[in-house]
Amino acid sequence: MKGFLKKITGNHEVSLAIILIVLFIVVDILSGFTFHGINNIGEIFKNNSLTLIMSLGMLCVLLTGGIDISITGVLAFSGMSVGMLMKYNVIKNVPLLFAIAIGIGALCGLLNGFIIAKGKVSPIICTLGAMYIWRGLATVVFNGEWASGENVAAMSEFGNTAGPYIILAAAFVIYFVVMKWTPFGRKVYAIGSNREAARISGINVDRVEIAVYTLMGVLAGLAGALSVSLYGSAQPTMQDGKEMDVIAACVIGGVSMSGGRGTVVGTLLGGIFYAVVYKALPLVGLESIWQNLIKGVIILAVVIINVVSQRLSRRQALARREI
Amino acid sequence: MAGKSGRTISATPNRSFLKTVLSWEGALVVIFIAVLVAGRIMSPSFTLDGVMFMMPQHLCQLFIVFPMAFVLIMGEIDISVGSIACLSATTACLAANAGLPLPLVIIICLATGVACGALNGFVLTKWPELPPMIVTLGTQIIFRGIAEVVIGAGSSLKYDSDNLSPFATYLGPVPIVFIVVIVVAALFMVLLSRTTFGRRLYAIGSNRIAAKYAGIGVNRMRFIVYALAGLMAALCALFLLTQIPAVKSDEFGKGFEMNVIAMCVFGGIATTGGKGNLFGAFIAGMTIVCLRIALGLVNVNDNVITIIIGVLLIVSVLISGISQILARRKLKNKT
Repeated sequence: MKGFLKKITGNHEVSLAIILIVLFIVVDILSGFTFHGINNIGEIFKNNSLTLIMSLGMLCVLLTGGIDISITGVLAFSGMSVGMLMKYNVIKNVPLLFAIAIGIGALCGLLNGFIIAKGKVSPIICTLGAMYIWRGLATVVFNGEWASGENVAAMSEFGNTAGPYIILAAAFVIYFVVMKWTPFGRKVYAIGSNREAARISGINVDRVEIAVYTLMGVLAGLAGALSVSLYGSAQPTMQDGKEMDVIAACVIGGVSMSGGRGTVVGTLLGGIFYAVVYKALPLVGLESIWQNLIKGVIILAVVIINVVSQRLSRRQALARREI
Repeated sequence: MAGKSGRTISATPNRSFLKTVLSWEGALVVIFIAVLVAGRIMSPSFTLDGVMFMMPQHLCQLFIVFPMAFVLIMGEIDISVGSIACLSATTACLAANAGLPLPLVIIICLATGVACGALNGFVLTKWPELPPMIVTLGTQIIFRGIAEVVIGAGSSLKYDSDNLSPFATYLGPVPIVFIVVIVVAALFMVLLSRTTFGRRLYAIGSNRIAAKYAGIGVNRMRFIVYALAGLMAALCALFLLTQIPAVKSDEFGKGFEMNVIAMCVFGGIATTGGKGNLFGAFIAGMTIVCLRIALGLVNVNDNVITIIIGVLLIVSVLISGISQILARRKLKNKT
């Protein structure tokens, strides 16, 4: 029993999963057993698919000890490119449009990675500048135009199929495998844990860092195209400020801001956590206007609880050593 | 030369005039003058009076630049300042609409800011392992969330009184805001470069553990700096209310934190801590303000200005990064 308890409290993912399950059951009972329906759960994943997909890239970036706040700028630019290509009937082929969005994202990410790894610029500053640039370009290049529902009808159709779910599931499976069982994933962890040691042991730190930011860009570009297909429109201001949601999802999922710690499963749980809480709010009598306030409280509470439990376990470990 | 490390003990560099001109601050002054000259050439209305007239609405953010510089010099970050401005503007509106006299309104507004900043400081000093970015991200959402609950989503809260109008006036050609910014800038500069408080900030930013063992109350310092950031965000909100006498929870002060950080970094303050000074940050802030005014006068899209600021930011940091790499390479070749 004691070992079991220790396993629960000692592992962030396990405790988060248990909290989620309890929360889920409570919400389900409160809502009169309407919450656990497959449609409802599908809705949760769909509504959060952009955050979930980008949180995978952010996981890698955070693991190397960096940060990327330009992602929604990249998302807006690639999404707008897709929307405009459709609006002016240049390309109507959905897979090709997705490929273009991903390509644009990859280029943006590559630029970030290159400046950060080779120019030794601090990640937050480089991506802050990039955020301004891509967000600005999303308006300037396309003269501030919008692409509305009928313009992107083909994309919206794709958004209503199982496509988004498949993309989401594929992204998580790929990342799970890559981060756990491939040399690349291990290198990312190594760099985050101890950059100097990683360099000395023969890892090309610059190259891995560039790859990590490029992958972040790829996912941001993908999220751009996905956003167009899910919301049926493209505006220059789309998903403004949502980069912080992505970072928050990672942190709630137990990813350390200083690098080297965090898992794909934790990130997934962190991303879903919000969604379930949102759904739970109206059931406990809180209007949607309280959502943002509660979101902030959750972020603070989770990181504080995390620190407190770490302190506790360290103290216990010390006490055991004394005996 | 002193000691084995080969470093001199004196921390105050002995600069020649040429070196000052060639330093980043010198370059900024040149850029600033270039912006002024270019503005004059591009637009005939870019005169002293014209600039002074346009200035107040852009200048408010400069208040936050100074405490943000302190935070960055400590090697930390505060991204909740925009939301603090929003919340303190909300309480100011509520107080004014309840018919309270102006001094009380100001006190309530500033107290809200200090309280918000103190909350940041409290959480960060109580649990020092927490990353400041995440804590202030949480409080950023909370403060704006409170404002949203008070005002209501999508609606705006009017400041139903004209008692703030004395702050929007001009002293000759110079707006009051500008004078206050200069005074605040002078105070912060003295605080940073002429007092032990400022020296301690640099010490914390360069090596926190060493600073602690040297007897600096690191956590007390952090608490004060975060509270100071809250206070200045509230001051910014107060002056912003003289320009826009209404608060919308999803617009007021939105994105200020990033603009302000951009100004600091453009001014040569390293986000890794321990480096930079307020003169650079101030000139950088003024450069961006004048750039916005000049480009606004010739009807350049606001987003183009955003792009230019983004490019400036990356290029300015890239230059210092590359120069460091080159200097290291030179040193290696010598040895």
